[in-house]
Amino acid sequence: MNEKDLKSMIESILNEMVGNEPAETNAKPAAPAPSAAPSEAAVAVAQPTASAAAQPTMAPQEQMQEQVDTGECLDDITEINLRKLLLVDDPEDREGYLKMKEKTPARLGVGRAGPRYKTITSLRFRADHAAAQDAVFSYVSEDFVKEMNLVAVETLCSHKDEYITRPDLGRQFSAETIEYIKQNTTKQAKVQIMVGDGLSSAAIEANLRDIVPAITQGLKMYGLEADNILFVKHCRVPSMDVIGDATEADVVCLLVGERPGLVTAESMSAYIAYKPTVGMPEARRTVISNIHSGGTPAVEAGAHIAELIKTMIDRKASGIDLKL
Amino acid sequence: MNEQLLSVGIDMGTSTTQLVLSKLHIENLASSFTVPRLVITNKEVVYRSDICFTPVLADNRIDMIQIQQFVQEQYAKAGISKEEIQTGAVIITGETARKENASEVLQSLSGFAGDFVVATAGPDLESIIAAKGAGAHTYSKDRSTSIVNIDIGGGTSNLAVFASGDLLDTGCLDIGGRLIKVDQNSHEITYIAPKIKQLAERRGIALALGQRVTPADLEPIIGEMVKLLEESVGIRPLGDFYDTIVTNKGLKLDRNIASISFSGGVADYIYNEATGDVFQYGDIGILLGRAIAASPLTNQLTVARAAETIRATVVGAGSHTTEISGSTITYTDESFPIKSVPILKLSLSDESGDDETLARAITDKLSWFKLNNDLQQVAIAIEGKSSPSFQEVQKYARGLHKGMAELLEQKYPLIVVVHHDMAKVLGQTLYALLDYKKDVICLDSVVVDNGDYIDIGKPIADGKVLPIVIKTLVFH
Repeated sequence: MNEKDLKSMIESILNEMVGNEPAETNAKPAAPAPSAAPSEAAVAVAQPTASAAAQPTMAPQEQMQEQVDTGECLDDITEINLRKLLLVDDPEDREGYLKMKEKTPARLGVGRAGPRYKTITSLRFRADHAAAQDAVFSYVSEDFVKEMNLVAVETLCSHKDEYITRPDLGRQFSAETIEYIKQNTTKQAKVQIMVGDGLSSAAIEANLRDIVPAITQGLKMYGLEADNILFVKHCRVPSMDVIGDATEADVVCLLVGERPGLVTAESMSAYIAYKPTVGMPEARRTVISNIHSGGTPAVEAGAHIAELIKTMIDRKASGIDLKL
Repeated sequence: MNEQLLSVGIDMGTSTTQLVLSKLHIENLASSFTVPRLVITNKEVVYRSDICFTPVLADNRIDMIQIQQFVQEQYAKAGISKEEIQTGAVIITGETARKENASEVLQSLSGFAGDFVVATAGPDLESIIAAKGAGAHTYSKDRSTSIVNIDIGGGTSNLAVFASGDLLDTGCLDIGGRLIKVDQNSHEITYIAPKIKQLAERRGIALALGQRVTPADLEPIIGEMVKLLEESVGIRPLGDFYDTIVTNKGLKLDRNIASISFSGGVADYIYNEATGDVFQYGDIGILLGRAIAASPLTNQLTVARAAETIRATVVGAGSHTTEISGSTITYTDESFPIKSVPILKLSLSDESGDDETLARAITDKLSWFKLNNDLQQVAIAIEGKSSPSFQEVQKYARGLHKGMAELLEQKYPLIVVVHHDMAKVLGQTLYALLDYKKDVICLDSVVVDNGDYIDIGKPIADGKVLPIVIKTLVFH
């Protein structure tokens, strides 16, 4: 950011502060007065030479014009590719360091300011943490569920706090919901795909558009069909066992948001099981994890999952029973 | 899972022919919870043949029968049969590649040596294979430095530059240990290569056939040869003979090179002092090695010890030519091996437009591969995208489908080679567009360029990956 940008940024921040002020300090009824005084201060700060002081009448007008929201905002620091950012001052071997950073998402080479992180490192850490928390506590939008043409249901959890604190409820459905599921899916289908928000709604919104058509296209190649895809709100992985019992599908494939970390909040997993049933050992699930733009691409994962489902149907097994 | 591939390397050089057998270990490095990721984790040479002189017939053609006998003998000595060989490469190098029957010998020998033993030739590939056999790429990677390897054989010096394990550049010069031959007993000059003769004339150095020489007499001409090598790596300004001595191209020399390593027959006399008569091999190899050891090449650059010297090229051919494809790929046909398919690599601007642009570019460029209006089998190569959307994959598939229309009429499967990890979904999309009627082979994690050829072997590791060789086939 150069000096000119910095100046205009400070100006706009100050103007925003000023713009909000009249509402709070409405002690004086005269309209121009409250805005005139702070705007003078604002210009004075932005331009220490205080040319505005010489022409006080100009200030309010300028102020009014600049108040228009131009839609500008601060740069999104989470867009910076950390693997290419080396913050160590004067490194002995910059190329070697960057080469090392290419191989890991860990925050290497962040440098330091005294004994602490630099400001950018500290801010980025908070930003990534915030994104992770948002991913957990937000919901997959209803529009998205509609757009993807999913059959929406929910587990016994009634809100996020209950979802977080009561894992047992996240794997159960009410009797009415199970009936609804039975009515809206194909009984004894070869494949039943379901989507669950899990611990990251962001992961679902980021990957579903690409992975679902890749899976269905791949399945089609093997002569398999998957329709009536379910969407489960407040979903824990074992809820797929209930779906298995309800639909009697040969293979159930659950696409679910993974617990987000600081590297990405958009990582999704596919849990796939052959004839899952409530109470079965966890070892019967096959997992493909790390599906996100920085891991396995969603489309490629989808093509792989299709083949995996086909193998499970052929071999009538999944999890550790399925030697790949 | 740990799978092994038995690989053979055969090098038919200017002066010697050799063979090695290597074991390539393949492992799935991915955890059980992600898509597979198979890589070659280890390469070990398990058998080194004797070194024989490359047999040449009276009419200056390569003696195919003798070479086949040599290969058979070595297989028997190593206790293996041809059927056990799973992969490998035959490389024809230096002067031998310029013989009239070079191509013919290469093709038939590769078939003779094993089902998926591929034929390779070309000065750039030679440089790369020798440098890898010498361990230059590993050296540069381990030490995070840059290195040039010079493989000095009988007829040529092949240069390859690596930085942090990545290949940067290659070059080749007509400088070698057997460009002047000297009779072991009489010490009379029996052969002078044309370019060396020209060099001697230019510099006013007396040099004639039948001349009886001492090492001191040869010092001036060998000195000139070493100077040209210094020029080739950028430690001496380019002189007036440099362009003449270059075989096909020199290094770009756009960056400093920190280290140097030597391979090839002459290298032994750079690293070690020779014992016995300097003309014991009937050539100037030992003297050339000595002169290099005393030159700025070893003083100004950090000298790295090569892992292999005279066997660098053959070890490179045996251990470093076979790669494996990405682990999520599509192939609907099993008629492997597929050998020597030329690559058509599209440009980034071809790829960045819509599907029509891509299709047009493919159609246009396919005409390059027409011989008498007959289209050869061609593999289409694209860069692809990291983490593409499904729409983008469809765009690629539509463009490829449309552009490859002419190839559809051939009996071969369609071959698409992608750099980024998207081959499984792209292959499936393409197969769907073809109505599941035309076979598709779609590979990724492979870097190729125009002028390259690809060979694809039988699937390994339960069919997850395909062994491949990316190579050139250039005869002079």
